Amino acid sequence: MGLLRRKRGEEEAGGGRAVRLYYASDIHGTETLWSKFLHAARVYEAGVLVMGGDVTGKVVVPVVVEDGGAHVAELFGRAERAGSDEELADLEGRIRANGMYPHRMSAAEVDRVAALSEQAREAWFAEVMLLTFERWLALAEERLADPAVRCFVMPGNDDPPAVDGAIERATRVEGCDGRVVEFGGYRMVSLGYSNRTPFDSPRELDEDELYRRVCALADQAGDMDRCVFNLHVPPHDSTLDTCAALDEHLEVVMAGSEPKLIAAGSTAVREAIERYQPLASLHGHIHESAGATRIGRTLCINPGSDYHTGRIAGCVLQLRGDGVRHQFVTG
Amino acid sequence: MSTTADREQAGSPALFTRKATGLVREGRTRDALFYNVMWSSVALTFAFFWILYPFAYQGSNAILAFLIAAALGLPGAFLYAMLAQLMPRTGGDYVFNSRSLHPVAGFAASVSYCFWLAVVYGVYTTYIAAYGIGAFSRVMAGNTGSSGWLSFGDWFSTEWGLFLTGSAAVLISALMFVLGGTRLFFKVQVAAFGLYMVGAFLLPIVIGVFQDSGGFASNFNDYGANLGTPDAMNAMQSSAADAGYASAGFSLEATVKSVSVFWFIFGFIYSSNYFAGEIRLRKGTHLRSIPGAVLVAVLFLLVLTPAYLHYASYDLNGMLGFADPAAYGFAAGAPAYPEIAAIASGSSILGGLIVIGFTAGLLIWLPQTMLLISRSMFAWSFDRIMPERLSYVDPRRRSPVVAIGVVTVLAIASTAIYAFTDWFSTLSVLLGLSLTLLVTAVAGAALPYRQKAMVAASPYGRTVAGLPLLTVVGGLALLGFGGAIGILLWDPGSGASLSENPGKLGLAAIVYAVAIAVYFVSRAIRRRQGIDFELAYRELPPE
Repeated sequence: MGLLRRKRGEEEAGGGRAVRLYYASDIHGTETLWSKFLHAARVYEAGVLVMGGDVTGKVVVPVVVEDGGAHVAELFGRAERAGSDEELADLEGRIRANGMYPHRMSAAEVDRVAALSEQAREAWFAEVMLLTFERWLALAEERLADPAVRCFVMPGNDDPPAVDGAIERATRVEGCDGRVVEFGGYRMVSLGYSNRTPFDSPRELDEDELYRRVCALADQAGDMDRCVFNLHVPPHDSTLDTCAALDEHLEVVMAGSEPKLIAAGSTAVREAIERYQPLASLHGHIHESAGATRIGRTLCINPGSDYHTGRIAGCVLQLRGDGVRHQFVTG
Repeated sequence: MSTTADREQAGSPALFTRKATGLVREGRTRDALFYNVMWSSVALTFAFFWILYPFAYQGSNAILAFLIAAALGLPGAFLYAMLAQLMPRTGGDYVFNSRSLHPVAGFAASVSYCFWLAVVYGVYTTYIAAYGIGAFSRVMAGNTGSSGWLSFGDWFSTEWGLFLTGSAAVLISALMFVLGGTRLFFKVQVAAFGLYMVGAFLLPIVIGVFQDSGGFASNFNDYGANLGTPDAMNAMQSSAADAGYASAGFSLEATVKSVSVFWFIFGFIYSSNYFAGEIRLRKGTHLRSIPGAVLVAVLFLLVLTPAYLHYASYDLNGMLGFADPAAYGFAAGAPAYPEIAAIASGSSILGGLIVIGFTAGLLIWLPQTMLLISRSMFAWSFDRIMPERLSYVDPRRRSPVVAIGVVTVLAIASTAIYAFTDWFSTLSVLLGLSLTLLVTAVAGAALPYRQKAMVAASPYGRTVAGLPLLTVVGGLALLGFGGAIGILLWDPGSGASLSENPGKLGLAAIVYAVAIAVYFVSRAIRRRQGIDFELAYRELPPE
């Protein structure tokens, strides 16, 4: 760590200036993990932070106001009651820490939302989600005091379109989805879309279109010796994309007593990596398939995600010249 | 994209969820339970008890002994379940201990556990030859009078028979992963589980309902006659008396000492924690599958023990141990419980099924353990303590083939040790394995103080009598594990007692010392490469 005194995340060494990059993905609305992500710049002495997609959550927990003013919510299958403001703050904090959005509502409002059409309820969900996400972006302004630190945030296949606007409006984090950004002499190609999933999530593309978009960005980036791919979906059949097969009811398909495992990554992403051979390629999407592998000369990384445990799985990359070293970290 | 409202029966929704990747219906709790029950080797331990009874535990009460062992292990079962739920990652206790205490503590404890598991391989592989194939052949000979079966079976009890058969079993296990990956393994495991349940439990229990000691003696004589010794029961009893066997009454001391044997089950029934990271599990999965496995094992033993004793009394097992096996026609060695149950059945088909079921349990343990050790190695490599190559996963088979290769070599070496030497007794690995449990208990008790935010945000953030729940459970686990280790150090039958085998404790300490040295050497090498692997353990503030 003594090497990193010159400037945060950058060092002079034999091969020239090195850049330390911290990558994490798939925090799915867990506020604790976002907070940890912002601390990573200081703790890991990283000059570049990259959030690789799926930042928003999947669950809204109604915090129902009772007649007497107390609030009730269900957490881990148990009804929890908050009588005072302090208890309410604690309850909401625990809901957020577990990747869910607490939302204060009356019982009538809960029933109204439950009765909405799926489309209307999705719009309502996006509104609730944005309230939190914008607060997160404001938190980044406070936490990232060092102006030398670059923080890139990209939506993933699970994130609704409204997320893009919020990222664009933010002043301390930078959007990178669908574009080429530059830092410390390196270029990064980013795309948050995935291939098709059984979940019909908001950002999915057919493999042909995915390939076309990645290639267009890679062509724009130029020198692949100093280029990093930041593609939410991992390459197909790469050991970074192994997950349980699901049937049409989203039930895990069992093989004997164990889930049947399949490669769910993108063939387009694999072909693009094989064709362009960037220095490194960063991925998320498949939580249970953390690992590092090489496709040709490209180091491919998926740190996985344990977001529901309150731990952020990430990877620190040390970029120096046309070389890269990595270290998985769980904070 | 669509959303769903999870309704609480007739009431208002408790939460609203979106369909999104990762929000899947998880693997079933019973899969983890199934794994724990298989890996804890209930049948093998039951065989151990009766094999060791005449020599080390005369006067012991089997039921009381396994209940004590279960009680000592139960808090640990809850602790492992809670930790696996909190940190569901590949590598199990390596992850808990390195994150709660210190990376070097986690690594050393995990290396120690894997080292002793590699050593214990030899117990299983040599038992496959002697009490599996060898016993099967003798059951066939004893029921048919075939001398061909007898000489075939006797070969498996020779040193080379033990080594070659055991090594072949290890290689077949490794090939299963290399050629078919974990998918093939799990298919084989299902078949093995069926055979194991029928052969090792169901048939011996049913036979116990219909067969008594008188019927057994008659069958034993017929069996002995087919092996070439008439009136085998009398011959066996005379030989035992000549060797000084005398019936013993109940002994509390022997009962407590024999807890060592049953610790083989209840100290190690937590194995699903090693693959907790493979698939996301429901909240509570491990709580049901690990302590649940303790309950299942206790129930099996509660039914099996009286059924077995109905035809094979404590005295019979004692005499079988004392007598010269050649005197009653069992030249290759005294029978273990599967063969005794097979004799009680009086049938070559039922007897064959019993031995096959028992052997299936031994055979499946080999790939199961290969999976556990290779996953620990994978976790060390993932954190960059060990070379990257160790965590290489074959993309076609989705199997860590390099780690499996390393385990295969270690397992064959262990088979050679057990086949050709008497360096380790059957149970002497338990001490080394249990020291890792002790580290985990300390890590669990310390976790609420070391990882406050993680524990506070979890379902285990509660306090009991002013102490964090995990600290209480960790403290109880520490008492349970400590108690078991105390018995292992006291009991000469454990092969690791301070009185008879003080070197074993020293060896356990040496394994830790070597692992600690490896950690610091590796850290220095990695730093020269520009990698600081201690970043992996550095905490990010939650606020």
